[in-house]
Amino acid sequence: MDNLRKKAKELLESKSVDLVIGYENGTNGKARAVFIKDPEKTGKLIYDERCKQNLAVYLNKHEVKHYGRIAIVAPLMVMRSILVLISECQVKQENITVLGIGNDGSFLDFQSMEVVEKYISKIPLGNPEPDQVIIDKLNAMTMEERREFWQNELERCFKCYACRAACPMCYCLRCTVECNQPQWISAPAHPLGNLEWHQLRTMHLTGRCVSCGDCGRACPLNIPIHLLTMQQAEEAFHMFGVRAGTSMKADSALSTYKPDDKENFIL
Amino acid sequence: MSRIGVFVCHCGENISATVDVAKVADDASRLPGVVHSVDYKYMCSDPGQTLVKDAIKEHNLTGVVVAACSPRMHEPTFRKACATAGLNPYLSEMANVREHCSWVHDKSEQTTQKAFDVVRAMISKVSNNGALEPIKVPVTKRALVVGGGVAGIQAALDIANCGHQVVLVERSPSIGGHMAQLSETFPTLDCSQCILTPRMVEVAQHPNITLYTYSEIESVDGFIGNFKVKIRKKARNLDEELCTGCGLCTTKCPQKKIPSEFEQGLGFRPAIYTPFPQAVPNKPIIDHDNCTYYKSGKCKICEIVCPTKAIRFEQEDTILDIEIGAIVLATGFDIKRSDFFPEYGKGKYKDVIDGLQFERLASASGPTQGMIRRPSDGQIPKKIVFIACAGSRDPAKGIEYCSKICCMYTAKHAMLYKHKVHDGEAHVFYMDIRAGGKMYEEFVRRAIVEDHVNYTRGRVSTIYELDGKLIVKGADTLLGAQAVEIEADMVVLATAGIANEGSEELAQKMHVSYDQHKFFAEAHPKLKPVETNTGGIFLAGACQTTRDIPDSVSMASGAAVKVAALFSSDLLTREPIVARVNRIPGPSHSTCVGCFLCQPVCPYQAIEREEIKDRAGNVIKSLARINEGLCQGCGTCVALCRSKSIDLLGYTDNQMHSEVLSVLEEAFV
Repeated sequence: MDNLRKKAKELLESKSVDLVIGYENGTNGKARAVFIKDPEKTGKLIYDERCKQNLAVYLNKHEVKHYGRIAIVAPLMVMRSILVLISECQVKQENITVLGIGNDGSFLDFQSMEVVEKYISKIPLGNPEPDQVIIDKLNAMTMEERREFWQNELERCFKCYACRAACPMCYCLRCTVECNQPQWISAPAHPLGNLEWHQLRTMHLTGRCVSCGDCGRACPLNIPIHLLTMQQAEEAFHMFGVRAGTSMKADSALSTYKPDDKENFIL
Repeated sequence: MSRIGVFVCHCGENISATVDVAKVADDASRLPGVVHSVDYKYMCSDPGQTLVKDAIKEHNLTGVVVAACSPRMHEPTFRKACATAGLNPYLSEMANVREHCSWVHDKSEQTTQKAFDVVRAMISKVSNNGALEPIKVPVTKRALVVGGGVAGIQAALDIANCGHQVVLVERSPSIGGHMAQLSETFPTLDCSQCILTPRMVEVAQHPNITLYTYSEIESVDGFIGNFKVKIRKKARNLDEELCTGCGLCTTKCPQKKIPSEFEQGLGFRPAIYTPFPQAVPNKPIIDHDNCTYYKSGKCKICEIVCPTKAIRFEQEDTILDIEIGAIVLATGFDIKRSDFFPEYGKGKYKDVIDGLQFERLASASGPTQGMIRRPSDGQIPKKIVFIACAGSRDPAKGIEYCSKICCMYTAKHAMLYKHKVHDGEAHVFYMDIRAGGKMYEEFVRRAIVEDHVNYTRGRVSTIYELDGKLIVKGADTLLGAQAVEIEADMVVLATAGIANEGSEELAQKMHVSYDQHKFFAEAHPKLKPVETNTGGIFLAGACQTTRDIPDSVSMASGAAVKVAALFSSDLLTREPIVARVNRIPGPSHSTCVGCFLCQPVCPYQAIEREEIKDRAGNVIKSLARINEGLCQGCGTCVALCRSKSIDLLGYTDNQMHSEVLSVLEEAFV
């Protein structure tokens, strides 16, 4: 922890970065995001098991972007999100300093984004264990049971779009659901429209989701929608052998073609 | 409010026999926005088109729906008619009530209802259509011909004689292709090389033709009229300016026992070689795999003996960048070799040979100077069995098609053999004799009647070797499948013609489609046999399917005319059906967020990066821009774009949405 604070302070003092994004102690014993410009305030930074939010979501926000060079406290999912954002030209590689956090919570000092890539390449990637257990249970169901499960869950959704706001990959200026010329997805919350919205969100994140689970945590109704994108992440990996957020190159599963791509989904 | 005219065609009886066209026209007239609706016997005929033109003027139409055949058939016809009447051609739409309705359903009320639904959908679409203007792009008046066989040679000469520049690329060291290997040609038995080599020389000497042999296509970018082609000119290890083609190096090369590709392995060549004496260009190449110098670092005899000091061991491949307006693919074919047939010895019997090998044996310039001799011991065979359809028309071998040329060349082979070995016996096993062509049937008859070639209708089940003889076991199906056994000295297999090696790769580089046998696919089997689905790329010869010399030559001339037509004007007019990234006022400028995931999905490399700058020159935003010249309107980017920032003109989201909704309307009621 001291290493993290020390490094953040150094970066701000030497003016190598203009802003540090990290976690601090919030109210009610929770951790929350903090944005530090003053090197003296880097003492606020913490990292422990309460720090679950994917901070990469802030990188593409207008209010943050204009700071220029940013250092960000980054456990694995944040690192992977940053790589996706770089590959999709949303943040500039040279503007980001990664204050890495290892799986054991230790501070990792990365000199460059290439080192981050290398670090990620050595770690087994996949969905978090507890989520994968539920996904496996769902996959073991019959299609009818699964449809019923999701219909019951999604019926409750009232389209607050918190899931969208929490996701670092949902950065479009105008989301498809806001498109009204023509209106592809109906705006009010009703079972069919809800299903359409969540299917669309899942498809748009296929091959791009880094399985951070923030969409599910953001949901005020506790609908486990993160399972949808996580399942797709696995699906994309099994089909095309690519995991999102492992490289700065644009090689997302659905936007690249390789002659040896499986075509078993074509009926 | 739109003013739409609906024109329902009977197509003779093609549509009216199953669809109540009058009812469709009548029901359509009651739809909102429709001000005029009629039916007519032949809408595409002159009076039919006049109906459309007059209605546009009379009713001041803002949109036209023609309910008739597929848009592939007559969309251009009616667009032209609209344009003549002063309506933007892209405000007309075809409702396909023939292929999608009358041809696939029986006569019933439901069929009429479906026709009406299709018409209604197109009315909804056309009310959202906007006027579009054709796109004009400049044309580079230089053609690329890939492949220097007889088709490529003919295409290159024809285009060059029209006064256009031609770049002819051939991957082997000489042009000539398979035709240069043949002995005589059917049905006239004139010498193949004697008629081909003058053409080869003409190519080399033509002022409008640039010839690159021993070269391959590295990459192709761009689009019709504006291709950018990279050609890899492989190192001949020779200064081509200095080399006089004297051939001294080839005679002095210590490596002499390398099987010659040109002689189909029946003769030998040195490591520095020209494939055959009449090769164009008549300059040798060094075969690195077999050259003593490249293997051991010593030798260089060719360099020592060369009178002009032209050998360059250190020479490397060069990459040439050439701008091209049109491409003719004439990459030819190959044949299955005898090792493809386990029942015929899987290539282990030396005296079971394929058709091309027989051509070399019969050729006056071949390894035996035209004497028919067995490859195993050089004896003159007294009995030869020719097996037609070896591999062809055999679904079990994965080749369902007829290779087309084998019936004729088998008759020719048998005839040539009889002419050379008077006391020899020639037996032909065939499935059917397919001799469609001028003087072809007469030719086969001549082989049977005058030259006494024994034709047996049946297939050969097995061949095995016994005491220096080949035992051929077959059946005579005209005698009730009676077993036939022939002790032959030599067997010639008329093996199946197949797509040339590397055709799949080349097709992918060219973005040209190909069939399941890797032959290049034509744009339409009847009406566009030399075009491909990619604009500006044409086909000639056996790369599309195996074909004989006259067919290849005429196809090449056909492709050449297509190229010449393309080059006849300075500007090309293209359909304005292209994708476009939306633009909105600042500060957003576009709903495009510049993720550029559309860039890799575009098969035509049409998506570019556009930077929006403020007055000080700082980049405010990067967004995708579509190059109208490159875009082919496939719509892949439209489907990929998450924020729906790309629209395909002529098929905008609004148009498609209203079309789909109007079809669903009935379902929701």
